[in-house]
Amino acid sequence: MSWISRSTVRISKLVALLLLAVAAALLPLPARADSSIAALYGGRTLRFTHVSTQSGTAAIGVNDPGLATLLRATGAVLTWRPGERYVLVTNSVPVVISFAIGDRRYDVGPIALQANTAPFLIGDEAYLPMRELLRSLDLALHQDGSVAVLQPQLSSLDVRQQGERVTLLAHGGAVLHARIVQQTPATITYAFDGVGTTLTGSRPPGGAVRSIAIASSGTVRAPVTTVTISLSPGAIAQAPANPSGHDVLLTIDGPVSANAGPAAPSYAAGASPTPEPEPGAQTAGGLAAVTGVTVQQSGDGIDVAIAVSGDASYEWHRLREPDNRFWVDIKNSQMQGAPIEQNEASPLLSLRVRQVDPTTVRIALSLAGPKDMTLAPSATGLAITIGAQDVSDEPRSGTGTVGSVIAAAAAGPAVTPAPLDETASSGTGSTDSSGWKFGPRSNYLANNPRLIVIDPGHGGSDIGTMHGGVSEAQLTLDMAKRLRDLLVAQGWQVKMTRETDVDVYQPNDSARDELQARVDVANKVGARMFVSIHVNGFINSGPYGTTTYISKPDDVALARAIERHLAADGTKDDGIVKSHLYVTLHTKMPAALVETAFLSNPSDYALLTSAAWRQKVAQEIADGIGQYAREYPVTGQPSQ
Amino acid sequence: MRLPRLVVLVVLLVVVAAGTWYVLSNRPAHTTETLGIYYTKLDGNSLAQMRVTMRPPEPGESAAEHLHNTLRYAAVQAVAGPPNEIQAIRFPPGTQVLGASLDGSTATIDLSKQVDQQAGGTFGENGEFKALVYTMTAIRGINAVQILVDGSRLETLPGGHIELDQPLHRSDF
Repeated sequence: MSWISRSTVRISKLVALLLLAVAAALLPLPARADSSIAALYGGRTLRFTHVSTQSGTAAIGVNDPGLATLLRATGAVLTWRPGERYVLVTNSVPVVISFAIGDRRYDVGPIALQANTAPFLIGDEAYLPMRELLRSLDLALHQDGSVAVLQPQLSSLDVRQQGERVTLLAHGGAVLHARIVQQTPATITYAFDGVGTTLTGSRPPGGAVRSIAIASSGTVRAPVTTVTISLSPGAIAQAPANPSGHDVLLTIDGPVSANAGPAAPSYAAGASPTPEPEPGAQTAGGLAAVTGVTVQQSGDGIDVAIAVSGDASYEWHRLREPDNRFWVDIKNSQMQGAPIEQNEASPLLSLRVRQVDPTTVRIALSLAGPKDMTLAPSATGLAITIGAQDVSDEPRSGTGTVGSVIAAAAAGPAVTPAPLDETASSGTGSTDSSGWKFGPRSNYLANNPRLIVIDPGHGGSDIGTMHGGVSEAQLTLDMAKRLRDLLVAQGWQVKMTRETDVDVYQPNDSARDELQARVDVANKVGARMFVSIHVNGFINSGPYGTTTYISKPDDVALARAIERHLAADGTKDDGIVKSHLYVTLHTKMPAALVETAFLSNPSDYALLTSAAWRQKVAQEIADGIGQYAREYPVTGQPSQ
Repeated sequence: MRLPRLVVLVVLLVVVAAGTWYVLSNRPAHTTETLGIYYTKLDGNSLAQMRVTMRPPEPGESAAEHLHNTLRYAAVQAVAGPPNEIQAIRFPPGTQVLGASLDGSTATIDLSKQVDQQAGGTFGENGEFKALVYTMTAIRGINAVQILVDGSRLETLPGGHIELDQPLHRSDF
């Protein structure tokens, strides 16, 4: 063999060795669970036995019994099944944290982060980087001598200002309690026991607050986080509130706002019907009045409606990407009500409304990007539409006017829809004032145009919602009987799906059998209308109000007539809602399901348990039925 | 003759190493997708949307697999709802997404039994399913959602009001 051949062989061996080394580095040996960790958490020891360490970084198996305990304790949910690539963890905020097998990237809500190590599989079990997982649960793993301690963290303290009022929303990895440790007219200090933090420092002042300082003290096992708020003169600290277990709301009111409204600002992007300018809202000085600004989702975009009463000019400006702010100044106007500052859902990030000088109201929007926007005068003021699409080369400024001339021109069918004609031929469809699109109405003809079927919701083995010893089934039967008596007195024939506290189909039947039995009652007799009476309920006491549900095109006019009268029932009117409800869907005649009020809400509960109120509601439904019958008479049916 | 051959081999080795390094360190860039997650406001009807990022498909992840992952991620986000500071109609505590699959343009979302734990009114049911249907049908190619509860297709929730044994569409709400 020549030396050339020998050299070639040597080099080939060298190459082979190098390639083996590269392969070994790129393809690590299969991981295995190789250790366990015991850690103190909330006064008890949690043992994590599905732990694997790679390159000094611990990872924990999703089937670890200790992790299951920890997830329950922190109110988190882990979603994964063998074969799935993504491991999803929903924490107590709630925010979804997304891990993927083989990828160091993990996403915490909208934020993409890098873990020290990628999740991996050992057999059929996914292993997640432990430090990042704990951090996403708002926990930190500390050493106290030889003992590992899982320390809940105060992970966020959001400061918001609304006029003089400042609110601080604290969130942590444990159920939080704010203990007042010091209070003077100038400062107040809250302590969160058992909670550590890395949020030390201060927050910028504003409104009723001069400064906010966060500090951490105590020991690894018994940490204390303190929040000290320096108050402006006359500011008042409200009692801490717990909107949810892991959240505490601290509210500081200015001397003016202390008596001006509820203790906590609304974080809700709540019900927001298009604001109407209030008649006579124009100010005494001849200035126009900005009486309200509301934000509503519209498909993937957002509609912002600015209610302006009186004549005014406006001027708008828009900054360039990446500073995606937009504002419109309503000149010659004054704002009615408190300034508004609130966060919104994308593509609108935040909204601010304030009086910037004695004759100018500014509406400022912060957008998620260079979004497609339109701004135009409307019948009620100004309408801004923000689309989901990014655009370029948009105009940067503009001017216009709002007022009576514009309003008169803009007002039209979209604002005041023509009454629906129930006798209209099919094929035209219908649109109600909230913009629902329906298909054509049916050609339903009642066998007995004088007959109405009333359906008292639930009953028998199904009591419906229940609070304070009062059941939905009792209340719906009571209101249905009152309604029956009123209708009979007006000359209607009435059939009830149930007259007593019984199941309509049979005890302990399925929900479908029970609902179908109620539908059958109405369909078999060919009633003119079907009205189902219900009482609402929810998992918390917040929601209240009356809602009328429908499903079919035929239901719209009946629901609208009933809802119009129920709007005066003393609780909030949540209008008409289209849904896929069994009884309104499968009844052949015009139907409406009235959720009269919330048994789960204290003020609605007081109404529902009042016989006078139930009589009032029955009267209003009867009035609505009467109005519907007058507006849409059927041949051979005398006007009621 | 000897020297050039050795040089060629070394150069070849360097080229292979450089190529390997380039391929490993320059994976194709992917644009980040965002998903619109809907929730129903406390008026029981109007919707709001939050945007979340969806990780880009990994090399070797098929379009079908990525769509499956997207469905699952969006469903978990919809069931989680927005942060607690935002008032919204929320699924009953503990409700989990057990599975997500696709048949044609209908997504099937399997929810855990906790979804049964409604407080008895139409309000929660309507708001929860409306938000879930809007979220899933915001994904390209999806226009209906079939709800399963603990793996089974139910006619309605126990004591419920909404018909669930057929796929739900946006037009149902």
